[in-house]
Amino acid sequence: MAAPAVKVARGWSVLALNLRSAVPRFPGLTQVRWSRYGPEYRDPQIDKEYYRKALAELTEEEKYEQELRKTQLIKAAPAAKTSSVFEDPVISKFTNMMMKGGNKVLARSLMTQTLEAVKRKQFEKYRAASAEEQATIERNPYTIFHQALKNCEPVIGLVPILRGGHFYQVPVPLPDRRRRFLAMKWMITECREKKHRRMLMPEKLSHELLEAFHNQGPVIKKKHDMHKMAEANRALAHYRWW
Amino acid sequence: MLKRMTRLVSGAQQLDPGRFWHGEPQAPQSLAAHLDNQVPDESPRATSCTSEADPVRTFNEACLMVRKPALELLRYLKNTNFAHPAVRYVLYGETGTGKTLSLCHVIHFCAKQDWLILHIPDAHLWVKNCRGLLQSAYNKQRFDQPVEASSWLKNFKTANERFLSQIKVQEKYVWNKRESTEKGRPLGEVVEQGLTRVKNATDAVGVVLKELKSQSGSGAFRLLVAVDGVNALWGRTTLKREDKSPMAPEELALVRGMRKMVSNDWHGGAIVLTLSQTGSLFKPRKAYLPQELLGKEGFDALDPFIPILVSNYSPEEFESCIQYYLENSWLQHEKAQTEEGKKELLFLSNANPGQLERLCAYL
Repeated sequence: MAAPAVKVARGWSVLALNLRSAVPRFPGLTQVRWSRYGPEYRDPQIDKEYYRKALAELTEEEKYEQELRKTQLIKAAPAAKTSSVFEDPVISKFTNMMMKGGNKVLARSLMTQTLEAVKRKQFEKYRAASAEEQATIERNPYTIFHQALKNCEPVIGLVPILRGGHFYQVPVPLPDRRRRFLAMKWMITECREKKHRRMLMPEKLSHELLEAFHNQGPVIKKKHDMHKMAEANRALAHYRWW
Repeated sequence: MLKRMTRLVSGAQQLDPGRFWHGEPQAPQSLAAHLDNQVPDESPRATSCTSEADPVRTFNEACLMVRKPALELLRYLKNTNFAHPAVRYVLYGETGTGKTLSLCHVIHFCAKQDWLILHIPDAHLWVKNCRGLLQSAYNKQRFDQPVEASSWLKNFKTANERFLSQIKVQEKYVWNKRESTEKGRPLGEVVEQGLTRVKNATDAVGVVLKELKSQSGSGAFRLLVAVDGVNALWGRTTLKREDKSPMAPEELALVRGMRKMVSNDWHGGAIVLTLSQTGSLFKPRKAYLPQELLGKEGFDALDPFIPILVSNYSPEEFESCIQYYLENSWLQHEKAQTEEGKKELLFLSNANPGQLERLCAYL
């Protein structure tokens, strides 16, 4: 996408402390969504293995890095990022997307209950299956989760482009992060809206994840619909200039 | 060094779905333990408060870890002198350490030895959220709980089928104008009466308790009274009368009957009790000692008792629990099998069995 990554707003600019960023400034435009850290702040190193390496094993570059970090300013690590071996960035992102009103505790408990539900359902299937089928049944909730989201990612998307006073839906290849975002967004919206009033989120979400893992279900259908629309608007592909 | 993981395995074909506890919608999930190669036991499926939703459906077996407190209790029970008054054993400890499952183990042992088991899965269910409270016909000041009483009678019946025909009632009981139980009829009739006429269920329970207490000394059977969450009997209730004034537990007929059962003025058996903060009312979350949970009244009522502390897993127990999960492929996360993962689980759960189970559920 050629659009700048940072939203800007017109108006007076606030020259507060540390109000610097790497984005080129335009006159009369102020950043709206910014980080309070200046450009000299480095990202924190969360990985435990980085610090456990003995001094002798480090290469020249790594030694230089370590010395540099002693003097440089480092940003604070976010509360949700841990050095736990069980941490998964995809799960964290999904939990954040499910969160409402900042209630991370609830979002995380829903996520863990979903993973547990997926695991139990798969164990039941495993128990009921014969020996040959048992080899094909996947019981790891994390692989099922990742595979399901991968199956839901669209390959091509539609973007509204203004030409001659009208907006045309132009098929466009999507970057990786947009695809992951769309898969997660569709999954969450589907589970929030299309369930019975009394059904709980973990139950519905585990059901949808299992269906998506097998390439069935409403989220996969939505992905296919997106592909079909893109195919239908193939003629407009020339409106894309990037 | 008696901590071993004894696998008490039941094959799927030995488990009879009819043995499940039925009737209690809030009932904690069941756990059955069978010894290898032995006859399927007649014992009830002793209930547990763990979050594992029916291990039989997931693992095709149900296992208990043999731990020190249970072994200690079993040793005491094996050496009981049935001529002396019944000894009270109280299992106490912090939440999630395994008091209820130790109780289940003891119940299973006694059932295998053919004792008569009087088991209340959770006494807290009798003092809160009761829908149909009736004024007792027997005593105007007391209140009946037909739903709880009838579900308990159903479980009692499944648990102790063979004793119901052996034990004979020693008095005549008149239920209403048309029905009565004559002297010398089997106890099964009283239970049937309670199940069919739900209004008399609480009185039927009272009759059963009274008969068992008086006849336990005769030596025909050995009685095990097992109550989980016994601190409910002496706490406060959340039940209210019609005029919205709070009710004390003394006014509930079931609670009164149970209190008499738990006193040590009978012989020919043993009383094993568990304290529980989890379902308790108006007790602080960190309270786990007998004095704190029972209050002055309860402590005095139970006074000469043998306290048995149930604590978190020792390193060997933790290791064996993790090994069990790994053997059953319950821990599916690839990192959970590594040393780092195990250290992290130990740190996160602090070797608390309940917490470990909740952690491993989603890993």
